[in-house]
Amino acid sequence: MTTYPAGADQEPHQLLADHRRLARQVRAAQRVTWFPLLVLAAVTFAAVPVYGLGGFVRTCRDQPGGGRVCAVYSSAALVYWPIALVLAYVAIAGFYLRRARARGVGTRVFPYVGVGIALAVVAGGALTWFVTHPPVGGYDLVGLHLAAGQGAWLFQLFSPGAAIGLALLVLALVERSWALFLLAVGYVVLAFVPLYDLGWVIARPSPWASLPRLVIGGSVLLLAGLLFAARQRAWRRDAA
Amino acid sequence: MTGHPANGLDDVVHQRVRLGILTIAHEAREVEFGYLRENLELTAGNLSQHLGVLERAGLVTIGKGYAGKRARTWITLTPAGTAALRAEINQLKLLIHQVDGTAG
Repeated sequence: MTTYPAGADQEPHQLLADHRRLARQVRAAQRVTWFPLLVLAAVTFAAVPVYGLGGFVRTCRDQPGGGRVCAVYSSAALVYWPIALVLAYVAIAGFYLRRARARGVGTRVFPYVGVGIALAVVAGGALTWFVTHPPVGGYDLVGLHLAAGQGAWLFQLFSPGAAIGLALLVLALVERSWALFLLAVGYVVLAFVPLYDLGWVIARPSPWASLPRLVIGGSVLLLAGLLFAARQRAWRRDAA
Repeated sequence: MTGHPANGLDDVVHQRVRLGILTIAHEAREVEFGYLRENLELTAGNLSQHLGVLERAGLVTIGKGYAGKRARTWITLTPAGTAALRAEINQLKLLIHQVDGTAG
């Protein structure tokens, strides 16, 4: 049994306050959110020449009622994204681990890295399948029939932007960061916004048609990375 | 008397430094000796004593490793340590609730 000295009723308040302060300090020491954001921004910007200068794969299928439906996509990008994202996540895991070890704490980044790599591989495979199987009358997937027009929605679901945003949601959860959560949600939404709604269109068949999405997506990540770097530096200064 | 939240407090955990060690080890997953010493503002000897108490109670495990040629000591919370920390925090909240309720 624990007894309290008279007049020590503030002690539990103090202990709880210390508990919260120490937990905040550890989180501040563990967070290096700016690094994945800047790495993913670099990967996104590096994709620009891949789309622009690489070749294109064009797959056409005959429609039952006549005519043909074709899918066109950068063949280099299909190879680039899974490889670049997996390498990026390996670099992110290594950086987090090094930083955490140097600061004397563990890291929580591995769920993010695992989900990120899984999404990169799944999205890369799914994108390749969609590009080589253009919708003829729609898609039948896991008991659902999706009209041909809904193919674009599926296409965006497996886009690199959605894969990056969904993985960032996991990072927001493990880092318990509302700011990152809002950014990740915004990034996923951005991945689903049709290009013409972004207000900057380079029409196909130009090989640079993906430029607006890549530049806008990369810029969002770059800006967010710089803001997080400044904010986390201030946190650590305050926590010290 | 047995219903009072203070009766549910564990003497091993209900101590400022040891609660701090458990908090940091829980949040950090694993924590280096030097980080604890710096953030809890303790001498190495004092910290070692508290770690010994927690280790004997089965709440933490202490392991040695190397960073280059430098020996480093890492502290990890056991499942019993996690449960003890959670119980302590719950009891503290109950106690605060009761004290504040009485005062109000």
